[in-house]
Amino acid sequence: MIERYNLFLREFSPEMSKELQLFSIIAQSFFQPFSLMDNLLVIMTALTAGPGLGFNRAMLFLADKDSLKGEFWLGPASPEEAESIWRVLSTPGIGYAEIIEHNRSLLTSDAETLTKRVKKLAYPIDKNESLIPALTASARQIVLVRDAPNEPLVDKRFVETIGAEEFLCIPLVSQKEVLGEIILDNAITKAPIQSRDIELASICGLIASNYIYTARLQRRIVDMKKEAAMGEMAMFITHQLRNPLVTIGGFADQLLNPKTPERKKRRNIQIIRSEIRRLEKILLRLSQFLKVDTREKVVVDVQDVLNLVRETLRPRIAGRRIILDIEIEAGLRIVRCDPTSLGEALRNILDNAVDAVGHDGRIEIRAYRENAERAVIAVHDTGPGIPDAIRDKIFDSFVSTKEKGMGLGLAYVKRVVDTCGGRIEVKSAEGEGTTFKLYFQTSPREGGAQS
Amino acid sequence: MKKRLLIVEDEKNLCLLYREELTKAGYRVTAVTDAEAALERMKKQKFDLIITDIRMPGKNGIELITQIMAMRKDIPIIINTAYQSYKHDFMTWAADAYIVKSASLDELKAKIKELVG
Repeated sequence: MIERYNLFLREFSPEMSKELQLFSIIAQSFFQPFSLMDNLLVIMTALTAGPGLGFNRAMLFLADKDSLKGEFWLGPASPEEAESIWRVLSTPGIGYAEIIEHNRSLLTSDAETLTKRVKKLAYPIDKNESLIPALTASARQIVLVRDAPNEPLVDKRFVETIGAEEFLCIPLVSQKEVLGEIILDNAITKAPIQSRDIELASICGLIASNYIYTARLQRRIVDMKKEAAMGEMAMFITHQLRNPLVTIGGFADQLLNPKTPERKKRRNIQIIRSEIRRLEKILLRLSQFLKVDTREKVVVDVQDVLNLVRETLRPRIAGRRIILDIEIEAGLRIVRCDPTSLGEALRNILDNAVDAVGHDGRIEIRAYRENAERAVIAVHDTGPGIPDAIRDKIFDSFVSTKEKGMGLGLAYVKRVVDTCGGRIEVKSAEGEGTTFKLYFQTSPREGGAQS
Repeated sequence: MKKRLLIVEDEKNLCLLYREELTKAGYRVTAVTDAEAALERMKKQKFDLIITDIRMPGKNGIELITQIMAMRKDIPIIINTAYQSYKHDFMTWAADAYIVKSASLDELKAKIKELVG
């Protein structure tokens, strides 16, 4: 015999302990897409909403550079407000999801909320700072303040703002740094804060600290990736520009030399001109590469795009024995894509295909719907295939097998596919040609335009 | 007797420029556009100095230097590249000089003079 239970507890039985209820709510927040503010909101809601820990109000500070800044404050501002909110919340059918949603709406509300008041507060985090709330964060200690108005260690302005005699300060810290602080009170019910409440709140504080720390790490990784990409880009541009510039400079110097014969001068001018054209091309490709993100995403008709690409490709294959075989499923559409970028990306793949087959060969393009959500554009060529040594690197920027290649062609394709939420695959074996498969999201067969 | 220089540079126009300018400066210059061609030439002829780029299609300059050092330890090598950053690459320390390409060939010429006269 087996018994089955839901993975996510929607309703809590009255016998279930406060602790279990609280942690099941917080644990469920892990299943949401990671958003720091949302996850903190879940914890703060769990700390305040009735069946959870049941503090009346919860205030959150986050560390920003060297100071603690008020972020939000949940709970009622007065006994009257408390009564009306708690009445609503005790209505059958109102659960945590609704309370969290309600709290979320308060954060962005224009009304005179508690959050508005706490947003005005900022305290420097400094070892020499001797007043609560900053003191608790820098000392990394949980502090229960019993008689705030008469406690010299509490900042006077803070006492005025919180308006409660008793409150609990939970510092949010990582091993090295101060991340923030949670301040909890029972200003409305005046219920004394018990040691068990403090223990539970401190665990919530650790979870919140973890969230903040993870978010910071994530942000740092993104920054580092960006920096690395920028560094690579800068190095690449330097090289790309330096070679033509050195060539132009060197041959221009020869022009200035009165002993240089006339015929050589003419040759030098030709070389200079061709290097300048090359510089222009480099700039054009770079700007194309950098523009992808900013273009608007719309629904794209694959047939239209491929027709245009075929037209621009025609002069390149004229005079060669290349068979261009195209089959496109009628009405095939891709959602959220920019047609210009997609066209350029396909043109890059086809340019490579033409280079690969040389003067004699076959290029096949197939565009079809794989299932209800997925469209595929596949390009196959009968060229020699991609050498094993570079197959893993072909989508990296600045990798090229061509003498004057910038290594931006396939990197550009990947960038376009990524920004459309698609995926790219390549199959290639030396001697068996190469197939690129681009997967995109498609719109319903008969459906109207979506964006 | 004129000193013999071997230049390895994949950019054809730059190759031409170096050949002309260094010939004018009084050297016997052989210019090739890839590392394999350079190694072939070295088997047939004795050079006094090698000048090589680093990023080239096929075998790169660092691999070339490694092979040259295995063949002839005593030959001076100048790295002539568009990249600053390879200076940190340990293998480039094996070269006698590291020059970042510039439109003025003065630095390159001065270094050649210093190394082979």
